[in-house]
Amino acid sequence: MPNASSATRPSGPTPARVLRIGGLLALAAVVLLFPSLAPDPFILSVGVVILSYAVLATSWNLVGGFTGYISLGHAAYSGLGGYATALLILRSGLNPWLALLVGALIVALIAIPVGIASLRVRGASFVIVSIALVLILQLTFQSWHTFTGGSGGLRVPRPFGPDVLRPEQHERFFYLHAVLLALALLTWWLIERSRLGAGLKAIREDEDKAQALGVPTFAYKLIALVTSAFFTALGGGLYALWFGYLDPIFQFSILVGTYMVLMSLLGGVRSLFGPLLGAVVVGYAVEVFKSQYGDTQFHLVATGILLGLVVLFMPDGVIPAITSFLNRRRRAASIREVTAEELARQREEAAR
Amino acid sequence: MTGALFAQCLVLGILLGGLYALLAAGLTLYFGVMRVVMIAHSAFLILAAYLAWYFHERTGIDPLLSLVVTVPLFFVVGYGMQRFLVSRLRPISLTTMSVLLTFAVALTIEGLLGFVWTGTQRRVQLGYSGMSIEVAGVSIAVVKLIAFGLAAVSLGALYLILRRTSFGRALRATTQHPEAARLVGIDTDRVAGLGFGLGLATAAVGGTALALDYTIYPSLHWHWIGPLMAIIVVGGLGSIPGAAIAALLLGVAASLLQVPLGTTWAQTVFYLALFVTLMIRPQGFFGGRLAQRF
Repeated sequence: MPNASSATRPSGPTPARVLRIGGLLALAAVVLLFPSLAPDPFILSVGVVILSYAVLATSWNLVGGFTGYISLGHAAYSGLGGYATALLILRSGLNPWLALLVGALIVALIAIPVGIASLRVRGASFVIVSIALVLILQLTFQSWHTFTGGSGGLRVPRPFGPDVLRPEQHERFFYLHAVLLALALLTWWLIERSRLGAGLKAIREDEDKAQALGVPTFAYKLIALVTSAFFTALGGGLYALWFGYLDPIFQFSILVGTYMVLMSLLGGVRSLFGPLLGAVVVGYAVEVFKSQYGDTQFHLVATGILLGLVVLFMPDGVIPAITSFLNRRRRAASIREVTAEELARQREEAAR
Repeated sequence: MTGALFAQCLVLGILLGGLYALLAAGLTLYFGVMRVVMIAHSAFLILAAYLAWYFHERTGIDPLLSLVVTVPLFFVVGYGMQRFLVSRLRPISLTTMSVLLTFAVALTIEGLLGFVWTGTQRRVQLGYSGMSIEVAGVSIAVVKLIAFGLAAVSLGALYLILRRTSFGRALRATTQHPEAARLVGIDTDRVAGLGFGLGLATAAVGGTALALDYTIYPSLHWHWIGPLMAIIVVGGLGSIPGAAIAALLLGVAASLLQVPLGTTWAQTVFYLALFVTLMIRPQGFFGGRLAQRF
């Protein structure tokens, strides 16, 4: 979290630091204990779904949060990850875990030309390409019967033998997803405090100025996109191994990409745990909605309205909205990380 | 491919391209006045098609007459959408946030359509639905001809508004340089709102034309927005003539490719064109200075 204490970094254990480490430990404990606390396999499977969403949203945030380039089509990478994993197992008999990794690497390679095409120019083209990518992949994977199984779908072989029963499957995949989530979070954290991260955030605040200061904007954006695609593909592949079935309609669904954006925005794209928080809230809401009302059109309306409200009223997410509210209450810290537009607004107000 | 088949596909492609051109002109208007990529354009298109279908279903009157209601209605909705939703977004992140906002609107419309009229496929049945006229060995369905006629007339009207009226001049000035336009006394906010209204009115016309000839269902708009976005990028964001040319070219290409490849694969020509354009000429083939930065 951007605040004064992280900027000055005192050596002793400050309250903020203790709080943060305590929170991290509590989070880890909740994740580790969840499978044994879950009353039945269904709740556990909901837990797996939410963790999967958290992986996807955190991966999305590697490009969306750092650069401010919003991708609405990240379902393309998760879907491709799922299909790549499944096809590598089915067609070349690869070990499932190796297939997962190789599949994600292939998807990262695919992301390179996509990035080259869409990142040379600013915002609008990037979003257009991201949506177009999902639409074209859905089209191709539905029609290419001989290779992808077409609209009939594709069965993914289970990585664990038949002696592993369903509840235990859920438990194992829950932990696997948790490990992947930890890796994605660690990557975000490492990038955030690197030179690359500083460059990416500069792009987000003002790309022209970043370029003028010598940030290799295009290369940095491309690195962010490819890293994000890699983790998204891992998330999609792991989910495919757990779920055991791929349907192009759901794999390359605009809605899945929307969920990633909504989760990240809601939780806050600037914070490490924002997408995770968003995934828990939105993922839980989606699952409850589905089990209560079935797959009606109404979840589209709910998603649409929620996304619209977030974009209109708290584009920086819930965490920043609450923090800024709290900061207004107590005396604001002396050094803060502010966005270029916040700064402009503050100056405007000061000038008045 | 035989000559007759080629001619047939060519004509169908031009007819379809006309509709694409009108809708792409609408998208270009939004982008011009506000630098907004309006994802909900095709959702409004399907909404208008549903309104035309519902109007015909309840009254039995020709769905074309629903234009009298839908065009002014959409104009007002478009104006309101710009004034009350899009203009609330922060200017610095307007382009990306407006995509999200209009995307949210698209999802909401799709969901509401499914909620009100269910996901069942709908089709308008008219006395002249099956009729076609034959010109030099090429048979053309009457409904396609009407759709093309509607699109051509509306595009013509749009051209006249933009070129011959003082509002059109103000709108073009706003597109080219908003600050300079404000300096010479143009109320750019109002003009942007009206530009949005005009853009959405094209969706109303397009939707009625669509209802005549297509089977409609709520999620159909995704099949339209992809090609339309490809068209405006190929044509150069912000250029109406560019969009029209790209629409006709790509419409004809898709129609011709349908014969050897089938409908689904022929659709990929739009995305291929989008990708190739961004690779070799990111500002589009017909766009001016405006497209450079986007």
